[in-house]
Amino acid sequence: MTRVAVVGGGLFRPDRVRYEVAEEGVAEAYRMLLEDTPELDPRDIEFVQSSYFSDHLNQQLCMSWIVQDYIGQHRKPGYRVEAGGSTPLDAIINAYLMIKSGEYDLVLVVGWEWMSEVDTATTNEFIAAASDTDWDFTVGGYYNGYYAALEVRHMQLYGETIEDLGRLAVRNRNNAVHNPYSQWRSEHGTSYVTLEDYFRDRIVAWPYRRWNCALISEGAAVLLLASEKLASRYSDSPMWIKGVGLGTDSMRPGDRLVNWAYKGVYPEEEAIYPSFVEKPITPYPEMANFGFAREASRRAYNKAGISNPLRELDLAELFAPYDGVELCLYEDLGWCRRGEGKTLIREGVVMRDGELPCQLSGGLTAFAHPVGATSLLQTLFLYWELAGMIEEKFGDPTLQVSGAEKALLTGHGGTGCQGGVIIFSR
Amino acid sequence: MGKEKVVEDKISDILKEWEEYARKGNWRVRGYKIIRGPSGNTKVGEEEEEEFMISYRPHGVLYHHSLGKVSKFFRGLIEGKLYGTRCPRCGTVYCPPRAHCWNPECRVQPTEWIELPPRGKVHTFSIMLFSADAFLEHLPFVLGYVQIEGAHTALPIQIVAPPTGVWIGQKVNIRFREERKGELMDIYAVPVPGQEPPEWSCLHRDPKAIEDLERNLEETYRFLEERFGITKEMVVKRWETGGR
Repeated sequence: MTRVAVVGGGLFRPDRVRYEVAEEGVAEAYRMLLEDTPELDPRDIEFVQSSYFSDHLNQQLCMSWIVQDYIGQHRKPGYRVEAGGSTPLDAIINAYLMIKSGEYDLVLVVGWEWMSEVDTATTNEFIAAASDTDWDFTVGGYYNGYYAALEVRHMQLYGETIEDLGRLAVRNRNNAVHNPYSQWRSEHGTSYVTLEDYFRDRIVAWPYRRWNCALISEGAAVLLLASEKLASRYSDSPMWIKGVGLGTDSMRPGDRLVNWAYKGVYPEEEAIYPSFVEKPITPYPEMANFGFAREASRRAYNKAGISNPLRELDLAELFAPYDGVELCLYEDLGWCRRGEGKTLIREGVVMRDGELPCQLSGGLTAFAHPVGATSLLQTLFLYWELAGMIEEKFGDPTLQVSGAEKALLTGHGGTGCQGGVIIFSR
Repeated sequence: MGKEKVVEDKISDILKEWEEYARKGNWRVRGYKIIRGPSGNTKVGEEEEEEFMISYRPHGVLYHHSLGKVSKFFRGLIEGKLYGTRCPRCGTVYCPPRAHCWNPECRVQPTEWIELPPRGKVHTFSIMLFSADAFLEHLPFVLGYVQIEGAHTALPIQIVAPPTGVWIGQKVNIRFREERKGELMDIYAVPVPGQEPPEWSCLHRDPKAIEDLERNLEETYRFLEERFGITKEMVVKRWETGGR
């Protein structure tokens, strides 16, 4: 079977509120791809994979039809995938599978989200409609609250502190100031922030402050994926997809206390549990960790031939809409034992100059989070990293990891209800 | 409505109210504004502007949503009873209830209803200092996940207590509000009196965290007073009486 590579991409600045509509924004992102890839004849694209999350944010169903015809790709096959925050990741994986299967050789992935047509509280409500609206949503829940509750559980079991959450928030901002497309930089300028600044920020759902939470953004991104046969035609530095993995978990996080899919599957994990907290029937992932990420990463590592991810990976872009998610992911992605996520931030492993820098782009809390485009933006960032193009693209070499060869991307939707992992390699 | 027979009807008021509202929320353009805003995919520092027309278009709906085979749970709330379901094959007790067991070994076995005691333990929680629009007046509130005694899963529920008085493992009683509509907000949890926070509690083990939270809560009280005229005293009374 053919290998599959990302051979280019483009973005529409996600750093500020936009008044162009989605299809016009996608067109601008697509134009960036065409400018960077003069070899690409738009007529050669075989399939358009669309990615956007919400139908009610813009009062429009089937927006992918508008977008695909707007950029002149109609009559060709194409469709949309949707899975909350996992949407753009699933779109990339879908395109990969199409090429891998031999069905197509050249697939354009387009993603976008326009999130400011309703007021912020309503945007939050619309997003919260991706939780169980008969149960979790009805008692005042929305994503800030759900993720805060998950983090409180993790914090109680494993002992990270509010300072650890602050360290992540500060790191993301101090990376984002070097990313000219980041919302943080557009809104706050290029000066660094400190832990003291973090503690001056408002708490929205304890233990999370605003800085710990994903941004509401508008923006678009496109990626071009090609088979081995075509990859070198479009790129001197194709980024190969070495392995992918997918996973799911229960819709309601409260149901994860008895999760048959995991019961007894990880016996070694059951021992790691503090004596003072009562153990539920299913001690992993319960409401503290992300079972989907464990499933997805083990498969992706296996496919990519990775046995020691912490040593073998050079950088990672994680889907962490709330900072505590990162600590859990370090554990679920197998970079450390359960409960030791905090040590990776305390020892600087995931910092810019660490062994495995994460969220160099600024991530969802400081770069941008236009849901349907987010993982595409992160992938494009990784493509520029592995191609050594950061200085060229950003006018600033600070975020370039020199000689980076292997990178990890993970994405998910809901409270970890569905997600996946992709391993990229130069 | 086909052949169904209405057994009880508690919707008449909202239907009358909604008729008027739905006419306001029917997509017809209600106005516009012209603004100058950023334009194009420019480089930082080279921003361009353009005039855009913003159209104001309302959209309101009233859903008549069935609660399906777990309707009994929500009717139980009106009756002042707490129900869960139990799988007769593997014995798993679900609250929130499931009409079918999800244990693969049970092959989607239909479950049986059981009444559960109005008490449980806090599995986890978060303290909400901001919320979606519908719950702003409830701020600050504790969004809890409570494992009802005898159930194996955790139920989302508001915990009505001072925000700094909740911890994982805390015993709570479930209370029913006076006015009930067959929704989860008909019930709330209150801590069983006489419990002290354990020294390992992730909020209480760190005096700095409590102090930091208290300082932020003051901001929320200020917001409540300015926006809704709800004073801190009224909020404190809520925790004492269990009011909304």
